[in-house]
Amino acid sequence: MASITPADQPPVARRAPRLSKQLRRDLQAYLFLAPWLFSLLAFTAYPMIASFYFSLTKYSILNPPRWIGVDNFVTMFTNDPLYWKAVANTAYYTFVSVPLSIVVALGLALLLNQRARGIGIYRTIYYLPSLMPVVASTLLWLVLLDPRLGLVNIGLQAIGLPKLGWLSSADWSKPGIILMSLWTGTGSAMLIFLAGLKDVPSSLLEAAMIDGANGWQRLRHVTIPLLTPTIFFNLIMSIIASFQVFGPAYVAGDGGARQAGPLNSLLMYMLLIYRNAFRFFEMGYASALALVMFIVLVALTLAVVRSSDSWVHYEVGRR
Amino acid sequence: MGHDTHGTNRFGRRSFLRALLGGSGAALLAACGQAASPAAPTAAPAEPAAPPTVESVSGPVTLTWSNRYSTATTQEILPLMVGEFEKQYPNIKVDYENPGVGDAYVEGLLAKIAGGNPPDVATLYEPPAEFAARGSLLAIDDYMASAATAKPDAFYPSVLKSTQWQGKTYGLPSSAGAGAIYTNTAMLGAAGVSADRDAFPKTWDDLKALSAQFVTVTDGEVQQAGFVPFVGNSWLYPAWSAMNGGQIYDSAANAYRIDSDQNVEWIEYWVKWLDDQYGGNLEQLTIAGNWAGTYPDSAFHLGRAAMATEGSWASTDAEIPFDWEVMRFPVGPSGSKSFTAFWPNWWVIPQGAKQPEAAFQFIEFVATRGWEIWYQYIMDTPSWRGFPPSVLTTKLVNQTSPERATNVNTFFANYLEDAVEMWTSPVETFAQDTLTAAIDEVLNKRKSAKDALAEAQATCQAKLDETLKG
Repeated sequence: MASITPADQPPVARRAPRLSKQLRRDLQAYLFLAPWLFSLLAFTAYPMIASFYFSLTKYSILNPPRWIGVDNFVTMFTNDPLYWKAVANTAYYTFVSVPLSIVVALGLALLLNQRARGIGIYRTIYYLPSLMPVVASTLLWLVLLDPRLGLVNIGLQAIGLPKLGWLSSADWSKPGIILMSLWTGTGSAMLIFLAGLKDVPSSLLEAAMIDGANGWQRLRHVTIPLLTPTIFFNLIMSIIASFQVFGPAYVAGDGGARQAGPLNSLLMYMLLIYRNAFRFFEMGYASALALVMFIVLVALTLAVVRSSDSWVHYEVGRR
Repeated sequence: MGHDTHGTNRFGRRSFLRALLGGSGAALLAACGQAASPAAPTAAPAEPAAPPTVESVSGPVTLTWSNRYSTATTQEILPLMVGEFEKQYPNIKVDYENPGVGDAYVEGLLAKIAGGNPPDVATLYEPPAEFAARGSLLAIDDYMASAATAKPDAFYPSVLKSTQWQGKTYGLPSSAGAGAIYTNTAMLGAAGVSADRDAFPKTWDDLKALSAQFVTVTDGEVQQAGFVPFVGNSWLYPAWSAMNGGQIYDSAANAYRIDSDQNVEWIEYWVKWLDDQYGGNLEQLTIAGNWAGTYPDSAFHLGRAAMATEGSWASTDAEIPFDWEVMRFPVGPSGSKSFTAFWPNWWVIPQGAKQPEAAFQFIEFVATRGWEIWYQYIMDTPSWRGFPPSVLTTKLVNQTSPERATNVNTFFANYLEDAVEMWTSPVETFAQDTLTAAIDEVLNKRKSAKDALAEAQATCQAKLDETLKG
């Protein structure tokens, strides 16, 4: 039997190497990801890196940045009374508004999780404020909280309580914007809680009921533990949002012009950053402020994440 | 096969990301490089090569103008002003844009300047000194020297000074709405006080005494006020200081004078006024009414305050629904003369403007003859002394009479001769914010006038020194 050697084989046209299926799939994926990656790098990564650099400079926007090392940070902690004012205002807002918004959102979600006629309409009504632009909702609340003609004070007077100064008062201005943020901010958290509630297995609730647990006990020992992952998520998002509160303070505090609310009581951290960057031509200092806020937020988020081991209960897998 | 797989991996996710990061790293470095020198045009102000004349703009040019006006009335005025300018200067077209309203305008303008793409002309409500001290405006003194109308002596001195920084002029003021005390003629009449300007109190003590006649308090709540000088319109503070012989900022010495004895006395006077007539509690007073200004919703507008401060523009803008009069500010215990403050519309040419000559012609036009169009709509007192007195604000003429409009017009124009020097600090906004906060602390009884003003002085001087250092 004659053997066929390679030389005897008919010439075959050499095909161009084809990309493997895997490579083509990867490239396609990256192609689709490219716009997002580009925007991430250009509009998030670059500003963050630039901001870090600016935080170590004296930079007015109108002049080239001049390297000053850590001077901005020294000024911030030792020589800017408004810094500590803004920190205190923001801490007040965070410590009051975050728990309050979670409790209110959870309460609303529990109410709206009932089987009732027209429940969809109620859900829509309670969610609608979160779709409202912040400036519009703040302007609405400025009218409602007007010390003289606002409905809130009229209501307080109707039940025999004194009129409050709200945004005209250094003591009541922050509760005023917390009230605003509750109205506009709880809708989204409420919706997430509602989704979480739908995931609570009815078999567990029924079992608890058979065991004689009343409504409060079922909520306390079944629903809330199973909702802890949702609470955890909402908590982190609320903390981040509360640190970044700007719109209501900006609008209610007259844009931070001259001062943000009576005795600068609405001077929130973000407003301080904004004022330094665009009113005082201190973009370097504003960048330093932003960097510190970023570090604090990361630290707080990590602390919450670490603490979650002890209080967040997952249905499956590790706690 | 194995070779193929390896080849795939070489172009895999990590490699792709590495390539992307490498490329973007280079882009970031390049961008950082740009960021490090975003203000190439902000070196020493370039001086124009030759004095400009109308003829110097030979070919057709298009000016870019960052315009900050956005109200319905201004939208009516702007095409008329620009149209008239283009008619008089057929070689120049004006392309105006509104990069934002309020603070967003400043953000947009800063971004344009920092990005090396400044407009040829920008309108400012913020003092030009803040921009000029940071090297971002063109000095126009040489242009002014050879200008047909916008010569240095053609403007009220204090008003022109508001465009200057270290002896150079960085813009033109088209208007300078002066502040005054608006009075409710009927309320004053009922108290037996004449609407005649000569009969109006000439000292703070007399004004305070007059104010007391109108104050009514029910159940601890102020129902009606005479005059509440310490609420709102903080842009008038330099005038209040000057009325008492003080000064807030001394531009010649590059020094703040916030904690002078006269200023401490001024603020203590206000605290006593608050105590004597309004129960001493600013927050309760604020809850009881909006005592600031003359606009709708203000106590003055609602007939609950006999007097209030406001700028000249309120003569038409505030639509006061009753007979009113405007009065000069009285003099404080340590003062010797009445002063007013003013708030201009400034027109500037940023460094790096592509058409500086044409830009100057445009700002010269709007700051002089062109303002006639504006003034017919809004009573924003012209800063040009040559402004024809026969040009009146139509609305005021229609609401009152040509004689009355002329009278008010003349009052504000004359009062500008006694305008205090203001808006001249490179840290003006910071200092105004600081001073306002300090006065607020005093009126809210958190600090003594002496302590609060001393702290404000130290803060503002430190910021000024730091800014001057560059």
